[in-house]
Amino acid sequence: MVSVGVDAGSRAIKIVLLDTGSREVVASGIVAQGVGCNDLANDLLRDLMERSGLGPGDVTRVVATGYARNMIDFADTTVTEITCHARGVHRVAPNAATVVEIGGQDSKLLRLGPGGSVRDFSMNDRCAAGTGRFLEVVADRLGVALDGLGPMAARSQRPASISSTCIVFAETEIIGLLSTGTSPDDIVAGVQNSIAIRIAAMAGRGVVAPVVFTGGVAIVPGMDRALESALGCPVSIAPNPQFTGALGAAIMAAA
Amino acid sequence: MIGQPQRITLDEWDFRYAELCGQGMVEPSYGGPLRRHVDDGGDTRLLRLRYDDSAAALRLWNFLLTEEDRLREARAQEKLLVGAMKDLGTVPVMAYSAPNVVAFYPDGAWWIPCVMEMNAGLMSIASSLGLDETFCPVRAMVGAFVTQAHFPIPDMLTCSVGATCDDFSAIAQRLEGLGHPILWWEIPGRRKPDPDERAIALPGGFEAPACQVEFVQSELERVKAAISDLSGAPLGDEALCEGIRAANHIRRILSELRTLAFTAPKCPMPALEMLIAEMLAIHFCSDRDEAAVVLGELLDEARARVEAGVGVLGAEAVRVFWVNPVADLRVMNLLEDCGGRICGTEYLFAHALDAIPEDLPPMEALARMALADPMAGSSADRAERAIGDAGRFGSEAVLISRIPGASHCAYEGAVIGEMVKSRLGLPVVEVEVPPIADALMPTLRTRIEALIETVLAWRN
Repeated sequence: MVSVGVDAGSRAIKIVLLDTGSREVVASGIVAQGVGCNDLANDLLRDLMERSGLGPGDVTRVVATGYARNMIDFADTTVTEITCHARGVHRVAPNAATVVEIGGQDSKLLRLGPGGSVRDFSMNDRCAAGTGRFLEVVADRLGVALDGLGPMAARSQRPASISSTCIVFAETEIIGLLSTGTSPDDIVAGVQNSIAIRIAAMAGRGVVAPVVFTGGVAIVPGMDRALESALGCPVSIAPNPQFTGALGAAIMAAA
Repeated sequence: MIGQPQRITLDEWDFRYAELCGQGMVEPSYGGPLRRHVDDGGDTRLLRLRYDDSAAALRLWNFLLTEEDRLREARAQEKLLVGAMKDLGTVPVMAYSAPNVVAFYPDGAWWIPCVMEMNAGLMSIASSLGLDETFCPVRAMVGAFVTQAHFPIPDMLTCSVGATCDDFSAIAQRLEGLGHPILWWEIPGRRKPDPDERAIALPGGFEAPACQVEFVQSELERVKAAISDLSGAPLGDEALCEGIRAANHIRRILSELRTLAFTAPKCPMPALEMLIAEMLAIHFCSDRDEAAVVLGELLDEARARVEAGVGVLGAEAVRVFWVNPVADLRVMNLLEDCGGRICGTEYLFAHALDAIPEDLPPMEALARMALADPMAGSSADRAERAIGDAGRFGSEAVLISRIPGASHCAYEGAVIGEMVKSRLGLPVVEVEVPPIADALMPTLRTRIEALIETVLAWRN
């Protein structure tokens, strides 16, 4: 028997199947978000179940989380991504005291209590300049793939200073930097720093280590180092960072 | 025998209204079904709200939504209208002490864009006059002065300035530039007395140096003289004392209502109706005596529900302390939809809920009251009051609502939030609520649900 966690995020849908006995992950999968979120999630779940040799009768409970959680009609209940990421990260990094989660269209900072409970949280969902969307815009503008940004940032000798507080104006600023000969590597590093600085501002003065970085943006090379620099403390990346929300949802479904 | 109270939609109110009429409900002259405010007044936001289902709540809403009619009627009866701007509870007390004077709160127009879902065009007018969306939504007031569709042009306008919202000062100056003369009175930033200064106790537990109280009193004396000139009769101490007693009567009703609503095991009155009720303390909705009757009925209803052990929400609802009023009323419903209830508020006019001292000369008492205004003090003072009330009402979480563009709460949320976290250890969340928050409802819901989940996890 498995419990199912569905993280219907703004950029991708992630699903984790958790064995209700052993509490081990049986399968996980991801699909790009799009029109017909519920159908996309249903197809992904069916695929994961088939590949795991499971049938509909093997599912005990489904918890949906993420921005589009209320669109998942096969979920038994919904839980916010804040609670789910906390549970998911606690499972893979039990000592985590602070969680930074940067997704496609929002970013969060969670302070954890005992057992992965949330003590407090901050959230930026109004401004894309502190989210993965910023990296997508930059990658598009520079004509590179998202996974190419990390190596570019690593090559940077002098990260550019991105001063705009709005992603639209920041894009204009990037065009200006390119026209003045700033290297794309320095621009990418500057954008990563800009995102990290926004997260640090959201964290305020109260960042408690250990800090664990999760969410889709955590797989972008270099972002962890930018965060470490901005927060002033070591940052570790959660294993399978894209899946901690779905994992937390599956854990809650199994509870 | 009291029934199970519910939060109902406007459609459901149609049936409820017929039911109450069938039960012999007696209504005031401004009574009637809620839907008429949509059909006749264009208050389309009402279609999206959920309401308390009591006759007392119906009367509250009808009282609120007929203020425009009341003001026009007052004008027709040749009563004198005083628009008391940026004043949360002082000048109206003085104005209602004078014969034949009605005070109102033009700033209250900030809710028109919400209630009419932007259809009144007030924001567009304000923008065309240089007050764009970077200003507080109270800029709608200027539009209301231009259209004259929401209140008559008052015979006298007063506005406090100094330790008030910068946005509002700019907006009021623009209004004066449009040909509406304003009597400005200054309120200084409240400070703690120096060691060599005489300290004066203020309502709400604050202190100020005597020189500040004397200064504010001198400013209010100018306002008093202007009201006397307007009404043609000197405004004496006896009339002012009577006015203060009448205001305190309303404040006592509200105080009891708040205590009941915030401490009862089951919430007896929804957050939305409580917000409206608290707003009446500032300006009496253009009829001081009727405001007392309306609030008295609401208190009776709440008291009966508490005694019967019933409420509009279950006993498990998470107890949330709410800071700042919302520009979109629908968000008050959202809190309850997410499993929360209001247990304590600081809507920027906490001082207007305190009793005005009755054992002092009236102008000094009013000066002390004005200086107790949360906006005249520091954010830390606001936090202190919030911390005290949150503890008193047993709040489990704090929600700070920002008003886009409002300079009095752009940064203070962080100050209040940090103090609450460190002193009470409660989870805090900040949200920003524009006049129409529909597009933000998913993200607002996520934040509020996460706050509720956090508290529920702590309980377990």
